[in-house]
Amino acid sequence: MGREVSESCMDGLVTEMVSFIQHSILLQQTRNRCPPHRSHWLSGGPSALGAVRYSLFHTTSYLFHFILAVPILGLIRYTVERPRFTDHLEAIKFICKDFWTELFKKPIDNLKTNHRGTFVLQDNKFPWLSRMSGDGQSVENGMQDPESKAAQAMNMYLYFPCGIIRGALSTLGIPCAVSADISSHPACEYARS
Amino acid sequence: MIVCVAVVGHQNNPLYIQSFTEADDALKLHHIVHCSLDVVDERVNNPKKSGLTLNETFLGLLYPTENYKVYGYLTNTKVKFILVTTDLDVRDADVRNFFRRFHAAYVDAVSNPFHVPGKRITSKTFAERVSNIVKSFGLSSAG
Repeated sequence: MGREVSESCMDGLVTEMVSFIQHSILLQQTRNRCPPHRSHWLSGGPSALGAVRYSLFHTTSYLFHFILAVPILGLIRYTVERPRFTDHLEAIKFICKDFWTELFKKPIDNLKTNHRGTFVLQDNKFPWLSRMSGDGQSVENGMQDPESKAAQAMNMYLYFPCGIIRGALSTLGIPCAVSADISSHPACEYARS
Repeated sequence: MIVCVAVVGHQNNPLYIQSFTEADDALKLHHIVHCSLDVVDERVNNPKKSGLTLNETFLGLLYPTENYKVYGYLTNTKVKFILVTTDLDVRDADVRNFFRRFHAAYVDAVSNPFHVPGKRITSKTFAERVSNIVKSFGLSSAG
């Protein structure tokens, strides 16, 4: 009794989710700051920069908490018929191969470990990022370098997959912290400790 | 005849306990389920070389008390299913089958977006499915 979801819908949903959350948090910030008789939209200047940074921080923590529930369900369903995992390495290998294949139709390309609890998962063509251009967003204040603008904008979209990995591992009983990094578009790396 | 089934979460918190006889005291069944959790932990941490393979989900007969037999099943997400039965001769295959169907019902119950993971399962559909599975278990092993 499986249902299927269109892949491009999922792609669009994730992209829109990030910008929606950003926008709604920004809106909330301005509502809290501006007195009611002023307009709701920010009007430039240093207060805008502060608001943008604050909203980015809020967005990321919001996304992180909000997404942990998602992989729990997926993982429970996928591990029904499997024998139990004997150690962390097997669990991570399962996530790299089977779980990632179910989600993105391809396994993770590279897995490195230092055998002391840190794993690096590398995906050379991450599907949700492969359609994004490197041109950067329309955030103006304070972002001089277009390269870092693009990278920073893309980092927002990596929080969701980080949360997927983190939720999956904690459902299997392994508490961890996951961070993501884009070195060369569209490849990205996840480091789990 | 199955007396009680229970689902226990990975922090040993009960997620679902249902007893199928009116005569027995629910508290006694809770107690039996609780004690069997220790046996599950023991089996997981010290696997017997001769018996169970390391990564089997079905744990088999956990321990027999004076009236009951207790079977255990451990999923990948560390959720445990416990089955308490009064049958004297229960086939292994029947119990495995039971747990397989129970696992499927559990997965469907947990996939409910309104279900909070870690809290008790309150779905009526799940309760119905479980009682159907229990009834068919009784019929198949009686024959």
